[in-house]
Amino acid sequence: MGFAHRLRNCLAGLAAAFLMVTAPSLMAQARGELTGTVTGPDGAPVGFALVTAAGTESGYRLAAATGTDGTYKFSLPSGDYRVTFESLGYQAVEFPVASVRPLSRLIENCEFESTEQTQNDTSAEPAQQTAPTSSGKPQEPSLEDLGIAPSQTKGNAREQALLDKRSHMLKVHQRLGLITIAPLGATLITSAFAGGRETSRASRDAHAALGATTVGLYFTTAYFAIRAPKIPGTKTRGPIRLHKALAWIHGPGMVLTPILGEIAFAQKSRGERVHGIASLHGPVAIVTAGAFGTAVMSVSFKF
Amino acid sequence: MLRRLLISFCLLSLPALAAADSQWVLEQATLTYHVSHPLHQFDGVSHAAKGKGFCHDGECNFLIAVPVKSFDSGDSNRDLHMLQVTRGAQYPLVSVRTRLPESAVTSAAINLDLEVQFAGQTCEYKQISFQRVVQNGETRITGTIPAKLTDFKIDPPTLLTMPIKNDIPVRIDLTWHPM
Repeated sequence: MGFAHRLRNCLAGLAAAFLMVTAPSLMAQARGELTGTVTGPDGAPVGFALVTAAGTESGYRLAAATGTDGTYKFSLPSGDYRVTFESLGYQAVEFPVASVRPLSRLIENCEFESTEQTQNDTSAEPAQQTAPTSSGKPQEPSLEDLGIAPSQTKGNAREQALLDKRSHMLKVHQRLGLITIAPLGATLITSAFAGGRETSRASRDAHAALGATTVGLYFTTAYFAIRAPKIPGTKTRGPIRLHKALAWIHGPGMVLTPILGEIAFAQKSRGERVHGIASLHGPVAIVTAGAFGTAVMSVSFKF
Repeated sequence: MLRRLLISFCLLSLPALAAADSQWVLEQATLTYHVSHPLHQFDGVSHAAKGKGFCHDGECNFLIAVPVKSFDSGDSNRDLHMLQVTRGAQYPLVSVRTRLPESAVTSAAINLDLEVQFAGQTCEYKQISFQRVVQNGETRITGTIPAKLTDFKIDPPTLLTMPIKNDIPVRIDLTWHPM
């Protein structure tokens, strides 16, 4: 009865942890709506304009033409999209990041500029930048004079969106990691009342509940680090290397500790002394907590 | 035929005659930003700056440009965060322009008005002091630009919920070579 009860509790805990870890990916699969109206410089709707939504992360791509009233509507899996609008006689327009959220509607209206207008505007730009030498004013060096090609000065909105998403996810990772320290510390403290001969069932339950919370929070924290976009061509340098290396200790530790804890719990509930592999629960937990704490400190303080 | 050749030569050489009287080229550069956080003090260094100066009619114009990506603080994760908060992918270059009288180029101490373009913003710094030392025919200019995050509308990044200080002074060490 006791073991079955504990097994049920354990399974419920694992299911909760699984849900916490997978909830973000389940949310990501939910769909949202991207809609809007495409108009010309005079405000008139532009029909049959090509609208393309390309997932910045997922690679999901969908294209459609606007109706005669200039409107378009997409049903898309939630995520960030680069939306482009093209139509003959107009300069193409690109929205670098349109964030479609589950079960919500995002309105992105587009107003085209005519090609002629854009050409006039761009032709005026270099004239302002180049200082006339004939007026007696000194010639100003340009970026081209420094050997910097125009392509090197051009911004990359997609890369910026990737960096923004990476930073956002790592910020969540950092906050959740700090929050995880609280139940982790509490689990370690309650372990003193859960493992001895004179322990009560209630203190063991409290210890197990705190441990399950720690594990759930830990894997949610890990999710945000693992799923954060990687920036191509970046070589890992500095304290972050230690931070990442320590994950190979506390990661397996966070899987092993609750399994060993469950076996130890069952042995204690049967009135037995903790023995066999279950006796490693304490040492594994301490190594795991130590590695986790060091990982937090490795990116928080300068050594 | 000879006349045509002479006229062609004169027409082709006009732009060259109208060009700058003298030029300066940036030989070596070290730009270092300094960041203060309650738990950290760190520097980001770049040696990738390029620069030129054109002097004409007693006045000189200088331009220095450096890729935002080239700053190295010794931690790739921190550098990527800095690149993100400074919108370095969208605005990949930092450029500094200044104009000064040609006579000031030979002074030991120079006060300059700087126009800095960074993170999609332009900020002017007035009368920034620089020291000048001449060694082996090359001119070394050193000084510090008292830049602030708010000058470029950059939200201060946080670590453990504590933001970095608004001041990000940029130390400049430039070696110029006359052409």
